[in-house]
Amino acid sequence: MTAANGKSWPHMTSREEFRFLSDLVFTRSSADHTMVSLHDHHAGTTRFANNQVVQNVDMRRGTLSVSVACDGRRGTASTTDFTAGAIQDAVTRAERIARVSPVDPEYLPPPDPYAFALRATAKPETAGAGPARRLEYTNEAISQCRMENLMAAGVVSSSMTAVGIAANNGLFGYEQRGDARFSLTVQAGEATGWSAAAHRSIDHLKVQERTLVAIKKAKSGRDVQELSPGTYPVILEPAAVAGLWTWLMWSLDAKSYSKGTSPFAGKLGRLIVDERLSLRNSPDHPDLLGEGFTADGLPSLASVWIEHGVLRQLAHNRFTAKTNGVDPIPTLDAPGLSVEGLPVASIQDLVKNSERAILVTNFWYIRPVNHRNLLLTGMTRDGTFLVEKGEVVSAVKNFRFHESPLMAFRQVEAWTRPMEAVNSEIGKMLVPAMVLPRFTFSSMTRF
Amino acid sequence: MSSPTWDEFAELALKRITASGAEYGDIRIQDSTTEQIEGEDRRIASIRDIRDIGIGIRVLYHGAWGFAASSILSLEEVPRVADLAVEIAKGSASVALEKVRLAPEPVHCDRIVTPYRINPFSVPLEKKTDLLLSVMETLHRKEGIARSSASLWARRDQKLFVSTEGSHLEFDLLAEQGDCTATALHEGRFASRSFSTPHLRQGYELIEDADLQREAARVAAQAVEKVKAPAVDAGLYDLVLDSEHLSLTIHESCGHPSELDRALGYEANYAGTSFLTAEKLGTFRYGSPVVNLVADNTESETLAATGYDDDGVACQQWDVIRDGIFVGYCTNREVAPKIGATRSRGSNRADGWGSVPIVRIANIGLEPGSATVEQLIADVTRGIYIEGHGSYSIDQRRYNFQFGGDAFWLIENGRRTRMVRDVIYHGITPEFWNSCDGVADRSARRRYGFITCGKGQPGQSGWMTHAASPARFRQVQVIRGEGQA
Repeated sequence: MTAANGKSWPHMTSREEFRFLSDLVFTRSSADHTMVSLHDHHAGTTRFANNQVVQNVDMRRGTLSVSVACDGRRGTASTTDFTAGAIQDAVTRAERIARVSPVDPEYLPPPDPYAFALRATAKPETAGAGPARRLEYTNEAISQCRMENLMAAGVVSSSMTAVGIAANNGLFGYEQRGDARFSLTVQAGEATGWSAAAHRSIDHLKVQERTLVAIKKAKSGRDVQELSPGTYPVILEPAAVAGLWTWLMWSLDAKSYSKGTSPFAGKLGRLIVDERLSLRNSPDHPDLLGEGFTADGLPSLASVWIEHGVLRQLAHNRFTAKTNGVDPIPTLDAPGLSVEGLPVASIQDLVKNSERAILVTNFWYIRPVNHRNLLLTGMTRDGTFLVEKGEVVSAVKNFRFHESPLMAFRQVEAWTRPMEAVNSEIGKMLVPAMVLPRFTFSSMTRF
Repeated sequence: MSSPTWDEFAELALKRITASGAEYGDIRIQDSTTEQIEGEDRRIASIRDIRDIGIGIRVLYHGAWGFAASSILSLEEVPRVADLAVEIAKGSASVALEKVRLAPEPVHCDRIVTPYRINPFSVPLEKKTDLLLSVMETLHRKEGIARSSASLWARRDQKLFVSTEGSHLEFDLLAEQGDCTATALHEGRFASRSFSTPHLRQGYELIEDADLQREAARVAAQAVEKVKAPAVDAGLYDLVLDSEHLSLTIHESCGHPSELDRALGYEANYAGTSFLTAEKLGTFRYGSPVVNLVADNTESETLAATGYDDDGVACQQWDVIRDGIFVGYCTNREVAPKIGATRSRGSNRADGWGSVPIVRIANIGLEPGSATVEQLIADVTRGIYIEGHGSYSIDQRRYNFQFGGDAFWLIENGRRTRMVRDVIYHGITPEFWNSCDGVADRSARRRYGFITCGKGQPGQSGWMTHAASPARFRQVQVIRGEGQA
């Protein structure tokens, strides 16, 4: 897939140019194995706060990385200069490192050539979007907030990246990846509301719809009450669910599992969450950010990680995969969480069906407290509400939580269909909003 | 034909900016070299030599900013980037409500070079990999150690800053760091203990002076002790926090709230705002009278002491908290006038040529007191001594925080006695700093730094150093970070 180059965009490294550059590296390299990776990134961001633009940037960085290996000794050098002399220098530096490196017992030759899937990762509308388009979206969000006498802070960004991987055994992959993002925090005095979107297509950011959601949350947060910390039923919106599940996914490392330093030690093949929950990788899903191949030169494939609550898959690198006989190696670039059974139609329906619960828009600053059981902490942010008898009755001051997703998701009471979820600390997932019967809030902050 | 010099590229860009009618512009050309060597479980897992060169151009047009950057340094690309920065600034200006007005700064022409004894990039690679392998062997020599890691990191930044005001600044800066970690297993539990040199603007002498081998033996023994230690009982404890631990506490609970751009709402959508709002300046009791937090971007070897910031403002020293009262912000030329300041504090930094500079935490440190560490501990009946970094989290206005640590010892009747594990303390920032009743003297002062401070959209990594002597805090809420799963 190639991108249409808009007038305001400089020429990005093409498939043919990457093949030329990688062939140049192979010609210059005397190593047994040589891999070349390309990351030619062109991004623009318009950032606004207090209802005006505070930052407006455009950046293009092309990086070529050369990895060589001789007899299991390896070295990597990279450069942002694509001239022949600089590429020769990168090869020389990588070879110099490899010559004096100790033999790596985990080294494996490059993966075999593979016909990577051609995915619709590059959208012409994203490639063609420049500062003017970003400013247009920015104005749309700010104008809506100004009309309501509210303050807007956020970003509109768009980027295109030419990504390539090649090895001297014939492995070759190239694709252009587009990425567009919008996020908005609306301030209504002390109260804040938030919404965000990420998509391959800048046409799918739904700026107006997201702005109205953030405005509604901010306005609903004006009347705030203090609620004692404790264990409550919660309605977690998709961004909050994704925040917790991101840490779960980051903890699936197979090496830690085999060494006994994983929260999942001994749990492969066992029930770890509610038996109706399944986690899958779906790189072909049009609303996810799936890729054709990984930085290691492996294909991104559809796969099942958690099936009916049972842990089916760990995150392998090529060495642990070989050791454990895992082939092909699953990736998690386009994760989606689903619940088996009948969903309700909307988050509003989850609220309507709740007798008493805390509605959480998003979590912030989630960090592990205990790696043994994946106990996490973090704060609620930008819209935390008390729900009673099927209605939002007031905002509540933000809570700190201490909870492990392995405990919290043992029982799911109600859920929506999977929805797009993105926040500042995670990538993008498709997850349902969910009602969990028990969630531990350990303390409260002052707003 | 030889390639144009950096000065010639800068001159070319300056001419385009000036011709556009912009009131201000600056150009940063930077060549960064990073060497990262990472060891894991007795092997060298990766060695990377990273070169990153490019140009970033910032333009202020009719009171609004535009910024463009590129990794291509050529006679075709530099004018394109300069023109794009102007075009973007004009777009920003078309919707500007309030014009940016820069605080004045004298014109500076200078060259800043990090002094060093040993150039880290001239030390043979074999010597470094041998050191890391040997350190990991030492870690594994202790029975009960299941996993190990060790790493070395070095960075050289060569940079040129020029502005339409006439400033011309050249930089040749170094930074270095090394660390190792042991993970112990015991009855299905695991626990880690780490040693890290500070990130400092020094050469490889930082690593040679640190004696990683000796530290590896110590942390391996303590990792085994830690994994076997009992979990802490929740409750109120007096805490004595060591310098490394305090560097993170200072960073999160004082550093970030003292960034003026946050207080003004610039970061509302990401890193957050600040409870230290402008009306509190000069009056708000942030901590007890023994709490003095000083920003010092002039102390040699510290990360933010770069001579000048990315506004071209000379590095300075100033009070943030004096006798417990909040008295100073970290500022840049854009936000300083918004609180009536006549000069920027010089705390505007970008993480490379490709990023626009933003307000960054300065080298904020806790001023030493008069007690010895032993005296701080002697006056504690029931307390915990905490070393190093662990779990950390704080709300977006920097009130409600939670910190763990790397190692914990009970203090019982004035004596540091035995290790405990899973200590987490939490509180509200001003209440916590008001509970501080003692800071150790200058002989116990140590410096630790960060190179991964996340802020900004697109995200940037900030660098700064926080120095402190150990300090004592009374009756802090401690919970057991063990959970139920």
